[in-house]
Amino acid sequence: MPIVLEGVSKRFAPNGWSAAGLPLPVRQAGGRQGQAASDLEAVQEVSLTIEDGEFVCLLGPSGCGKSTLVHLIAGLETPTAGRVLVDDQPVTGPGTDRVVVFQEAALFPWLTVLGNVEFGLRMAGLPAPERQARALEFIRLVHLGRFALAYPHQLSGGMKQRVAIARALVMHPKILLMDEPFSALDAQTRALLQRELLELWQRLKITVFFVTHNVREATVMADRVFEISARPGQIKHRYAITLPRPRSEHDPRLIAIQQRVLGSLEEEIAKVVKESMDAEYPMAPRGPVVPADRNLGSHI
Amino acid sequence: MPAASAVFRIVGQNLSDPAFLAAMGGSLRRMAVGYAIVVVIGIGAGLLLGRYRLLDEAFGVLAVALHAMPAAAWVPLAIALFGLGETTILFTIVLGATGIVMVGTSAGIRSVPPLTLWAGRTMGAHGVKQFWHVIVPAATPRIVDGLRLAWAFGWRALMAGELLVASVRGMGQLIHAVAKSRQIPDLIALMVIIAAIGIAVDGLVFARLERTVRVRWETA
Repeated sequence: MPIVLEGVSKRFAPNGWSAAGLPLPVRQAGGRQGQAASDLEAVQEVSLTIEDGEFVCLLGPSGCGKSTLVHLIAGLETPTAGRVLVDDQPVTGPGTDRVVVFQEAALFPWLTVLGNVEFGLRMAGLPAPERQARALEFIRLVHLGRFALAYPHQLSGGMKQRVAIARALVMHPKILLMDEPFSALDAQTRALLQRELLELWQRLKITVFFVTHNVREATVMADRVFEISARPGQIKHRYAITLPRPRSEHDPRLIAIQQRVLGSLEEEIAKVVKESMDAEYPMAPRGPVVPADRNLGSHI
Repeated sequence: MPAASAVFRIVGQNLSDPAFLAAMGGSLRRMAVGYAIVVVIGIGAGLLLGRYRLLDEAFGVLAVALHAMPAAAWVPLAIALFGLGETTILFTIVLGATGIVMVGTSAGIRSVPPLTLWAGRTMGAHGVKQFWHVIVPAATPRIVDGLRLAWAFGWRALMAGELLVASVRGMGQLIHAVAKSRQIPDLIALMVIIAAIGIAVDGLVFARLERTVRVRWETA
């Protein structure tokens, strides 16, 4: 089930963004019409192909339209130009063949872990015994067997993301879309979930499209890394990583790849910083904005 | 002012007086019936207003107006319509407390976070299924807020109704009678009992319900 994007662009009306990068409802966005000139182009003419069973990471600085690409493939948003094809069919809306794991787990607080994981199957009309058996199987797969009857507020951040992953996988999707799923987790939990995700991917033979701003995360996991530029988001570089898995953090070949990617990403981060500095301090003197000892923070 | 000890002695006497308990029972029964009607109409209408923007634009103002109107102001109209009886008091409770449930429910429906909707949609919840399995449960905290306030509003409306419709046996009627005879300790004892019932139900039922919902929804 290859994913194909052909010259995909997406514009949003100004102020049409919420803090989470989600477009606001029209009413809240001000609803002014006819401001095409000042529209924000989130992604611009992105073309890419993801093959069946691939693990692809989309890497880029914050606010560069990475989430938008996920939403376009998920069918939660429609492109302003270009086409999104999954298995040669244009995407017209959300489908359970392409399930999304969001940055915030977005679990349903009124349901137990079991209730959350079986939710999609319930929507599909599966009878209770069957869907519970299947849900439990996936809950065990993410090592939460003992917590099947717990509520989301009783779980840690890492456990919630595990539930979100189980909830997605139980639908037997061909494509798993992940929008910075681990970025709110501590380093140890993140590393653990990365390993578990790779195991699940190899076992279930699904396609994973994984968005991150973390170079290490992308290079440890992906077959290919697409680097996206600062807004308007465009694919800037494509890296194929053929190192065998599990990959060691200390493998000099991996470190060499990371250095290359980081060097390129630095430029984009500098652009974003400069842009936001200009926006916040229009009177600031022009010149080198990022100090010599650039702090790449969470990107590493 | 009467001494607190005197008041509490009368409270004690009242609570062991069968005539008083019958009046209290009457008030509580009326409240239960009225509140049940409030819940059904308030949530039902609130869901409709929250779901259909057109309905909200047409009738949303009425819900707010209803919610802004003091319950006591409905009593004269209720008497004119239904005479001096049970129905008048129920009418007062319903009009006094339904507005806040409607407003809370429809606001809850409309303020479901987009991410919650999207999570549901990617798992196949749209249309009617989305409404009942995602939107309504997600709106629960606001609905519970409305129900809690409606209890307090309804209890006040009940008393206003019973005070003005003094022919119906209830605690309002007792207040009416006691006030006429100017027995201030007796009057205050009644008020203490009325306030205590209001607080007890709020604390034992609604505060707990709200806490459960808050913990579950907001820390998830």
